[in-house]
Amino acid sequence: MLYFDCAASTRPYPEALAAFLEASSSCFGNPSSRHEVGYSAEKLVERSRESMLSALGLGATHRLVFCSGATEANNLALKGTALSYRNRGRKILTSPLEHPSVLNALKALARDEGFEVSFLALREDGKVDLDDLRAKLDPSVVLVSCMAVNNETGIVQPIAEIGKIVKTSRKAFFHCDATQAIGKIPLALSDVDLLTFSAHKFGGVKGVGALVCKKTMRLLPQLDGGEQEYGLRAGTIDAPSIAAMEAAFKKSVREQKENLAKVSALAAYLREGLGKIAEVRVISPLDASPYVLDFALLSHKASVVVEALSERGIYVSSVSACSSKSTSSSYVLAALGYPPRLAENPIRVSMPVETTREEIDFFLASLTAILKETFPL
Amino acid sequence: MTFDSLLIHYGELSTKGNNRKSFIDKLAKNVRHAMKAFPSCLVSGNHDFLSVSLNGEDPDRVASRLQEVSGIQKISLVAKVEKDVEAIKEAAAELLREEENKAFKIEVKRVDKSFPLDSYALCCEVADHLLDHTSLRVDLHDYDLLLRITIREKAAYLSCKEYPGLGGYPLGMNGKVLLLLSGGIDSPVAAYHLLRRGIKIETLHFASPPYTSSRVIDKLEDLLSALNLYQPSIRLHVAPFTKLQEAIYAHVPEPYCITIMRRMMLRIASKVAARKGCLALATGESIGQVASQTIDSLYVINAVTNLPILRPLATLDKVRIISDAKKINTYDISIRPYEDCCTIFKPKKPKTKPHLDDCLYYESKFDWAPLVEECAESLETRVLSSEGEE
Repeated sequence: MLYFDCAASTRPYPEALAAFLEASSSCFGNPSSRHEVGYSAEKLVERSRESMLSALGLGATHRLVFCSGATEANNLALKGTALSYRNRGRKILTSPLEHPSVLNALKALARDEGFEVSFLALREDGKVDLDDLRAKLDPSVVLVSCMAVNNETGIVQPIAEIGKIVKTSRKAFFHCDATQAIGKIPLALSDVDLLTFSAHKFGGVKGVGALVCKKTMRLLPQLDGGEQEYGLRAGTIDAPSIAAMEAAFKKSVREQKENLAKVSALAAYLREGLGKIAEVRVISPLDASPYVLDFALLSHKASVVVEALSERGIYVSSVSACSSKSTSSSYVLAALGYPPRLAENPIRVSMPVETTREEIDFFLASLTAILKETFPL
Repeated sequence: MTFDSLLIHYGELSTKGNNRKSFIDKLAKNVRHAMKAFPSCLVSGNHDFLSVSLNGEDPDRVASRLQEVSGIQKISLVAKVEKDVEAIKEAAAELLREEENKAFKIEVKRVDKSFPLDSYALCCEVADHLLDHTSLRVDLHDYDLLLRITIREKAAYLSCKEYPGLGGYPLGMNGKVLLLLSGGIDSPVAAYHLLRRGIKIETLHFASPPYTSSRVIDKLEDLLSALNLYQPSIRLHVAPFTKLQEAIYAHVPEPYCITIMRRMMLRIASKVAARKGCLALATGESIGQVASQTIDSLYVINAVTNLPILRPLATLDKVRIISDAKKINTYDISIRPYEDCCTIFKPKKPKTKPHLDDCLYYESKFDWAPLVEECAESLETRVLSSEGEE
C-alpha cells in the first residue's frame, strides 16, 4: 500500500497513540473537575498547552485554545474576531485559495452580519500580491486571513511579509490558517494574531485542533456553555487527544528540518518523473511545500485514474469528482487561472516522510500504465 | 373478547383454478417467513384465508410487515366468534364497548348460506343489540365505525379495521427472471414491481472499473438489502465489463456506443440467464426516458435475444418511478453519486433512432464473441439476504 494522501490525514505516530492510550487510562477525569483525578487531566492539558506555545515561540504573547480541529478553529478565529471587533470596521481581506472552512465562514459573515469580504489579487505564481494588499488595507479592514500553505497545490504564502503589512494598520488583525504548514515548514509567526491548525495533519489523532491567539484579543465565543478554554470554547476538554496532539507536535517540530529535507528530495524526484509523462501537467510551483504535489491530467478523467490507482493499492486525492452528472472542479485551480479541463482533473500526491524512491518509481510506472491503458474521457 | 387475529385475504389467487393449492402454500410459506420477526404470532391457513393469531403483538406493526408480502389482497383485524346469533350479538357489544358516541354501520356477509338468519336480518339483530347496550348510534352514510361480520364455515368473524395488501401474486409463483441492475433509481423499482407480481429475481450488474467506482457494489448491496423485504434472498452477479466497454469505445462511432453497449449487455445477460435458469430478462427501462430507451432503440437493442424482456416501468412517468423508489426506500441509496457504466461513457450526441443495419455493420468490424463469453463466464456472485439466513 502506498498512502499518498497525508494532506487529507496522516497516519498517527505511535508516540501519539501511546500518549492517547496512556492519558485515556490514567487521566480520564474531567480536567474541569476539582479533585485529584480532574487535576491530573488538567495538568496534562496545561503542560501540553505550554509546551506547544513555547515551541511555536509564542508563549509570552499568545494563548492556545484547544478545539475540535481546524474547521472549528477557523470559524472561531474569523467569526469570533469579526463579531467582537465589528465596531472597528466591516471589511475582511482574504485570498481566493483559502480552505472552505475559511471561505464559507467569511461568506456567512457577509451574508448574516453585513461584512464586506474582498479577495486579494494573486501573482502569477499563486502568491498573494502584496501591493494589492497594501492598496486594499484601508482603515475599515478589521481582519486579514491568509493560509500558510495551500492544501491543494502546496503554494506557500509570504506570511511574514503579509503580517508586516497588516501591522501597518492599527486596526486590522491577521489570521493565518497553518493547517498544512505546522510541523512541516518553517513559519515566521511574530506578526500573526490568530493561528489555526489541526492535529491529524501532523501525526496526531482526528478530532482535536487549536486556535492560537494574541492574549490581548477578546473573541466572541461561538459555542454557549461552560467557561473552559478561557471562556472561548465551551465543552469538556479532551485530555487524551490533546496529549496525543502534543506528542505528535513535539516529534514533528523536532524532526521538521530533517523531514523537510527528505520530503523535498522525494518531491523533486517525483516532479522529475512526472515531467516525463506527456499526459500530465504539474501544477505545484517549484517553491511549493514538498508535502503537496499537485498535477492535472490533460486528457484523462482524474476520478477514473484515482480509482485505477486505488485498485493497485496507491491512494491519492482528487477533487471529489465522483459523478459525471455533477462535474466538480477545483476552485483553487480555477482561481489560479487554469482552464476547466485542468481544474476538473487534478490529482494531489502528499507523501509521508518514509516514502522511498522505489515507491515513487512504482507510483510513476503505475500512473503511466493507467494513462496508457484507460480511455481518455 | 378482543380483535386478536389478522385475516389475510388472497388476491388474484381466486382466479387460479387448479393451481390454487400451490399458490396458497407459497403464500403461507412467505407469510410464515415474514412473521419470523414476530415469534409469538401463529400462522394457520385454509382454503379461503390465512389467519395470524397476534398473541399480544401490536396489530398495526404486524399488518405493516404483512403489507410487504405479495399476493395479499387485504388484511383484516378480526375477532373469531361462535356461529350463534346470541354469541355474535354479545361479542359485538363487548368489542365496541369502548367506542363511545360514535356512528356505526354493519355489513354482513354469509359465506355459509345455511346460517339461519339472512344477512339483513342478522344486521338488524346485531344493530338492535348495539343500540340497547352501547352509546353508539346508526348512520349508514356518515359512519365512524364499519363493523363487518362474516359468517364462514366454521366460525363468524367480526372486524372493524382493514389494511390494504400489496396485491399481486405470492413470490415464486411466477418463475424467475434475470434483472439488469445499474444502481440508478429505476432498476430497483422495476425489481419491486416484478417481486410484487410473484416473480423471483436474480440480478446482473456490469462493472467497469476503474471507469466506475468500486463503491457502486456497496450501493447495489444496500439496494438489494432494501429489496430483501420482498425477496428474502437475492443473488447479485457482477460481470467485469471493462474490456468490452473499452473495445466498444475503440471500435464503434460515438453516437452508437450506448446502443451497441446495450446490445452486448443483453447478449451477456441472455447467456447468464440460460445458466441460471431464468426464462426471461428484465430491465428498468422506461420508454423515452433516455436515448437508449426510445422505441427505435429498444427495437434495435432487443434484436440480439430471443428471451422475453420484462420492462415493468415501460410506461411509467419518472415522477411515479421516483415516488415508488421513495416508498420502497431505495431512492436515497440510488442517488448516491457514483459513476455507473451507463453514465461514464455517455456520448455527447447519442443516437435516439439507431438503425439495426448500422449496428450490424459496426459490430462486424470486430470479433466480440470472445469478450462477451469471457464477461459472461467471469461473474462474481454474492447473495444478499435478510439477517441470519442462508
